[in-house]
Amino acid sequence: MDGSVKGDPIEELKELQITSLDDDDDEEREQEMVTDEYEDDDDDEEDEEEQEPVTLGFIEKPKNSWSLLRHLFPSKAGGSPAWLDPINIPSGRSCLCDMCGEPLHFVLQVYAPIVEKESAFHRTLFLFMCPSMACLLRDQHEQWKRPPEKTSRSVKVFRCQLPHSNPFYSSEAPKCDGTDKPSGPGVSLCNWCGTWKGDKVCSSCRKAHYCSQKHQVVHWRSGHKIECQQLNLFSPSFDSNHGNGETTSAQRQKVASNSLWPEYEMINEDESEYDTEMSEYNGQTNALVSKTRVDDTMKSLLSTFEGDSDRKSWATFQERIAKAPDQVLRYCRSASAKGLWPMSGGRPSKADIPKCSYCSGPRCFEFQILPQLLYYFGVKNDVDSLDWATIVVYTCEASCEASVGYKEEFVWVQHSSQSVNVP
Amino acid sequence: MAERGGERGSFGRGFGGRGGRGDRGGPRGRRRAGRREEEEKWVPVTKLGRLVKEGKIRSVEQIYLHSLPIKEYQIIDQLIGPSLKDEVMKIMPVQKQTRAGQRTRFKAFVVVGDSNGHVGLGVKCSKEVATAIRGAIILAKLSVIPVRRGYWGNKIGKPHTVPCKVTGKCGSVTVRMVPAPRGAGIVAARVPKKVLQFAGIDDVFTSSRGSTKTLGNFVKATFECLLKTYGFLTPDFWRETRFVKSPFQEYTDLLAKPTGKLLIAEDHVADA
Repeated sequence: MDGSVKGDPIEELKELQITSLDDDDDEEREQEMVTDEYEDDDDDEEDEEEQEPVTLGFIEKPKNSWSLLRHLFPSKAGGSPAWLDPINIPSGRSCLCDMCGEPLHFVLQVYAPIVEKESAFHRTLFLFMCPSMACLLRDQHEQWKRPPEKTSRSVKVFRCQLPHSNPFYSSEAPKCDGTDKPSGPGVSLCNWCGTWKGDKVCSSCRKAHYCSQKHQVVHWRSGHKIECQQLNLFSPSFDSNHGNGETTSAQRQKVASNSLWPEYEMINEDESEYDTEMSEYNGQTNALVSKTRVDDTMKSLLSTFEGDSDRKSWATFQERIAKAPDQVLRYCRSASAKGLWPMSGGRPSKADIPKCSYCSGPRCFEFQILPQLLYYFGVKNDVDSLDWATIVVYTCEASCEASVGYKEEFVWVQHSSQSVNVP
Repeated sequence: MAERGGERGSFGRGFGGRGGRGDRGGPRGRRRAGRREEEEKWVPVTKLGRLVKEGKIRSVEQIYLHSLPIKEYQIIDQLIGPSLKDEVMKIMPVQKQTRAGQRTRFKAFVVVGDSNGHVGLGVKCSKEVATAIRGAIILAKLSVIPVRRGYWGNKIGKPHTVPCKVTGKCGSVTVRMVPAPRGAGIVAARVPKKVLQFAGIDDVFTSSRGSTKTLGNFVKATFECLLKTYGFLTPDFWRETRFVKSPFQEYTDLLAKPTGKLLIAEDHVADA
């Protein structure tokens, strides 16, 4: 085995390189394919990753005034919640922001039943949030705290599930033509916000219900002072007629507050439906291979113009949502779902997500809300107005039953960084 | 009437499970047939995006003034928009060795500019040329910078050249730009000439040093050079600036006390 003789053909092989087929007129024919010495694995990783099927949520104006009532099991955003279980609504401290003590505002609810579980034939998740950015910033610190420390949050999510046969709704599917009714009335809700239980009553007219003293004061100032006396005059006949949150008939409750977010209906669609659109568009290719010299130090540009990890995660985020830019919700209930994070920092690790407080089982990703919702809600863009990068909800993997009607789950907020990137 | 599985998503369209097909098939289907409009309604994701969409921010200069990161290219589209032109400077095939041969991808370099004081440069690598170009255009829009122009001599008419001698360096390449009188044109090599044309500089003398064969460094050096035009302190900036509150950032202690003279540090479109 003569090593030296054998060595030559191998050397020759090494020198072979693929050259471009284009013929050059002006330039020298030094076109060589550049081999990547550096790892350009960003695009690679994305293609090879196993993507869980994601369902997207979009919001639209509701078709009819009655489409969003609770007996139609809607998914909606803004306005007031359509409580699934109309009797055992959360009360007490769980409906207040732990930072400022104001009652929380309703953000959205997602009707997400689990087909395999009998007791979760109907299942809805409700998300509430304090509209103050100051509270949200403080909440940032709280969400990192691990149990058994007590956390005070300004964002809360509740899960409610009902079996197929339950005392609140009939066992048949609703016809959705305006004639459906729930099986029984619910508890009265607050006149001001229409969100929480109205167990406190106005002391003078005894007709207006409130969830907290704050709302009573606000309502009094903004018009109840005048109405109260009128209600007192017409006392008996009004008892059965006020549509105070008792949806015995297909009526919307009139809510006095105007600071609630505008109401929308949420429609869901699979993300895979949008994949085909993108690939069709890619069909046209431009034959723009230029004739100038190729060199491999162009990669120096990459470090400046492709940026750090924050920019990379932002770029990935933009790419994914570009398929359907007006999506507001991404739903993927699975233990292996990671979610789409716009920022690289501020993500929870497995240990940061606490176990279910009712059954001590693990929690898994369920859905996340995207900042497009802020645009639809018409949130102001002042210094102190609400802003987030994404809100992620983790729920009990087993979707356990507990004695409470509405079980609290874990919510994580990722903030958009205000850092300045100087190229 | 089966209780489980019979009604997928139990009563209507719930989330989760494959049965989640909404009533959106109608309008969406219509849009899918035929060409999809590029300029579909843009739903902003960042606060800055929302401000721009509302119309509270009218010019890019307001964003530059506060050094706010621009994360959505539609912001630039809306603010500079139609006058922005782009050009692909180079498509470079790059390869990576794999067990099954070589995997080729295309790297696209795109320059965007409105020939009136804004340029951007974007680089994107992708498996298909079209995707790379599209991605590079978006990145270029995100990296748009303002370019300061000045006069060579008499301050008549619009600024046409760089305000002073500036130099930029990247790798071994240094590019030096020197103000030139009207009519001189852009005296530069082919590559930086293109960038300078997009920037809106009409006359300039340039001098470069180093291995300008390396296109990447050459372009980057001209870019750095242009970036420095606004970093150079000239006598017209001697007056104390009155700081303006940023669109959405809070006053810090530094800005809380206004310092005397009133010079609003805003657009330098018509340079003195």
